[in-house]
Amino acid sequence: MADLEAARINHDNHLLLDQPCLRLPYELLRQNFRSFHVPFDKSSNAVKDLLKETANGSLNGKTSPDDVVKNLDQMLVKMRGLKRKLTTAAEEEDRLYRQLNARIAHLRELANLNTVDDVKYEGWSRQRLDRLLVDYMLRHGYDSSAIALADEREMKDLVDIDTFVTMSKIRKSLEGGEVQEALAWCNENKKELRRMQSSLEFMLRCQQYIDMMRSGPQAKMLAINHAKKYIYPYADTHPQEVRNMAGLLAYMPDTDIEPYASLYSPARWEKLAATFVEAYLKLLNLPMTPLLHIALSSGLSALKTPACHSNRQTQAQARDKDQPTDGAAASTSATTTSSSSASASASASSPPNRPPHAHYHPHGTASLTTRVCPICSTELNALARHVRYAHHSKSRLLEHDLMLLPNGRLYGKARLDEYAAKSGLAPGKVKDLVTGEVYSVDELRKVFVT
Amino acid sequence: MDGAKQKLETLLDELSRANNLPRLKAAAHDVDRIIDLLSEAREQIAGTMDSHTASLTMTKLQNPIKTAFDKVNDSLKAASSAHKKVGRSLDKHFPLKPLPTDDDIMEQHLPLINRAIAMHLLREGQFGVASTFINETQAKHLTAASSGLDESMDEDEDEEEEEQGDYAGPHADNKHSSLASLHSQELQERFAEMYSILQHIKAHNLLPAIEWARANSSELEARGSNLEFELTKLQYIWLFKGPAVNGLPDDERNGQSGALAYAREHFRRFQARHLREIQQLVSAMVFAPNLADSPYSATFSTDNAFDDVASSFTREFCSLLGLSAESPLYLAVTAGALALPQLMKYTLATRSKGTEWTTANELPFETPLPESMLFHSIFVCPVSKEQTTEDNPPMVIPCGHMLAKETLQKLCKGNRFKCPYCPSEGVLKDARRVIL
Repeated sequence: MADLEAARINHDNHLLLDQPCLRLPYELLRQNFRSFHVPFDKSSNAVKDLLKETANGSLNGKTSPDDVVKNLDQMLVKMRGLKRKLTTAAEEEDRLYRQLNARIAHLRELANLNTVDDVKYEGWSRQRLDRLLVDYMLRHGYDSSAIALADEREMKDLVDIDTFVTMSKIRKSLEGGEVQEALAWCNENKKELRRMQSSLEFMLRCQQYIDMMRSGPQAKMLAINHAKKYIYPYADTHPQEVRNMAGLLAYMPDTDIEPYASLYSPARWEKLAATFVEAYLKLLNLPMTPLLHIALSSGLSALKTPACHSNRQTQAQARDKDQPTDGAAASTSATTTSSSSASASASASSPPNRPPHAHYHPHGTASLTTRVCPICSTELNALARHVRYAHHSKSRLLEHDLMLLPNGRLYGKARLDEYAAKSGLAPGKVKDLVTGEVYSVDELRKVFVT
Repeated sequence: MDGAKQKLETLLDELSRANNLPRLKAAAHDVDRIIDLLSEAREQIAGTMDSHTASLTMTKLQNPIKTAFDKVNDSLKAASSAHKKVGRSLDKHFPLKPLPTDDDIMEQHLPLINRAIAMHLLREGQFGVASTFINETQAKHLTAASSGLDESMDEDEDEEEEEQGDYAGPHADNKHSSLASLHSQELQERFAEMYSILQHIKAHNLLPAIEWARANSSELEARGSNLEFELTKLQYIWLFKGPAVNGLPDDERNGQSGALAYAREHFRRFQARHLREIQQLVSAMVFAPNLADSPYSATFSTDNAFDDVASSFTREFCSLLGLSAESPLYLAVTAGALALPQLMKYTLATRSKGTEWTTANELPFETPLPESMLFHSIFVCPVSKEQTTEDNPPMVIPCGHMLAKETLQKLCKGNRFKCPYCPSEGVLKDARRVIL
């Protein structure tokens, strides 16, 4: 029963990783609207004002017909500009609604499933994996790979390529020592950044000031003027930083006195880039780390067992048939020496280019019915070393009717019988599925797991 | 539980409805109208250049333009309120739950993640994407290494070289060895081979698969795999069905006589292990005219046979490469999604209490996974309730009951102990360490 429970999809909890997938189109709809609406309001008010002014001027004879035509031309230019902006914003809005729709359809597939054992679940979950992979690639700046994968899987509407490509571009410009693009972005999102109390713009302004200071004494006046305009207004919110900026006037770029040395350091650009990425993600309500990282650290732990990283030892022990299994009498020190010698023999007997299909398989499950565990598989084994293993409060055995072989290995009776049959053994004989040792059935002992 | 499903459906329905709400483009019509009005007026005034016409036209222009602007504004408001509706639905039915991102262990092991992704792409047959990805990650890694920014990455690699003796060659000073150690070219060739054989199986051509199984027969046998025999058997059955079913040329190598010839040639090598089955397969000849009603109908049904044999083939092929049949990345991410709620619950609870994870190796909470995601037997000592590990292994005592080693040591009085589950007693030296 417990297993059925574990396999059931809880729709409330199953979509934690998919929150950004559905929410981002909404955030972008808002952002798109805002970035269109503010300049639109401004221009349309200008047109309205000019229209009124021109009509009044024309009525009381202050504005000549010639000027009226000129003013109308000016209004037309403004209106055509507005029209272009509207078209762009409307197209973007259509695109976002299309994405939202695609995502609704994607999540509806899940809404129709009740258990992870449903055959359709695998397809859905694979698509989720592809989405997470694209998210990972984009966040780490592997843009071509992300685009290639999204194209290949025909899921461009399910992933947020544009959002992250824009982010990468600005981040890279910062890493390359360029503030303009980041400042432009700050300007577009002024209100929201202020509400978030982000100090990104302040940091960028400081960087400009630092660069002016760096460029030599003749730029000092320029730097002071820049500071008056862009840095002093922050004196209330960032008093210490502003004082540091003032102090910077007294130090040359090659100083090794802190904090000025760090302010002059090129490493500050890395910090700026990181601050920008944080603000960018926060503004869109996106998680700070790639979703794949979250899924993996949770999934690797859930799948990991103590056995996943001890395979070499147990195999080496199994191989080393002379080594007595000395039971509980073995003191702790004996266990450590035996295991260290076992691992030594394991490494000695595995040449670097050992064929992957050596008889003793690197991952221990050289048997007919068990599947290779994903944590034991080459792809994830080293990565999973860094996470904890899952907690279990009850035994979960893959097999029943456990039989103990004289070499200390336990197998289910059904599997032993099946393997004996497949290996063409004489009746009354069984064969160890891992080591290949053959025993008589009389030598087996039944084991009870309570 | 159903409530949650209902909630998701309500959310999706509400969001779908947002698609029919007014959009920005509705404003375009009125903007065009303003432009038209302005140009018309301009033409009229420019045509006469008369100040009376100018003031009259301009006065008449005021109201229509104001109306048009009002309409534009209404459209914009409507579009904006549609967005807000979307937001409200999300807040109500899908409130944002912050994900645990504070303690990101994965960030320190990007080369290992990249390697896992590259292998995943290769095994999925996404060779183009895989090579783009490998190039892109290596290019980035090289620039990072040359500017000396990535110490953690280097550490990762050293460690990996020790662990991955199977794949990593002797190139300790190679900066981007984590992906080089993947032998991506070799792996790609292997998976290309696998996909080509699978394609043939799908097209009901078993010969390439049989050839592969024969070439690897000793490894397959060591694994206790019957793949070669299963393939040969299916080929016999397929030939037996004759040209009407299998679409192969109608000649002496097809049909019943073809199958019989095939059996004579190929079944011999399996006689030792599969004699009975071979006898059955051959005696089915007798029932050839009405096979469907015979006891052999199940054996000779090929409805799922090709799919079954294709998945056994994939499993064996991957196993011989030391890889699991399903993509580990897929399994890990799916398990991750299933376990995430527990993780979040725990993080939330400990954060509010201010306590931290203390157990070094084991998760402090349970993450139940479905049966299909269990790959090792787990033994939890019924007395100590601890999971057995390398240091505290499971032991079988003479009466056949299983306990953890530490439990047994605690139970001991001198050298003897009494089983907690049955009346029998034993001595320590008779307890056996077992391997599950």
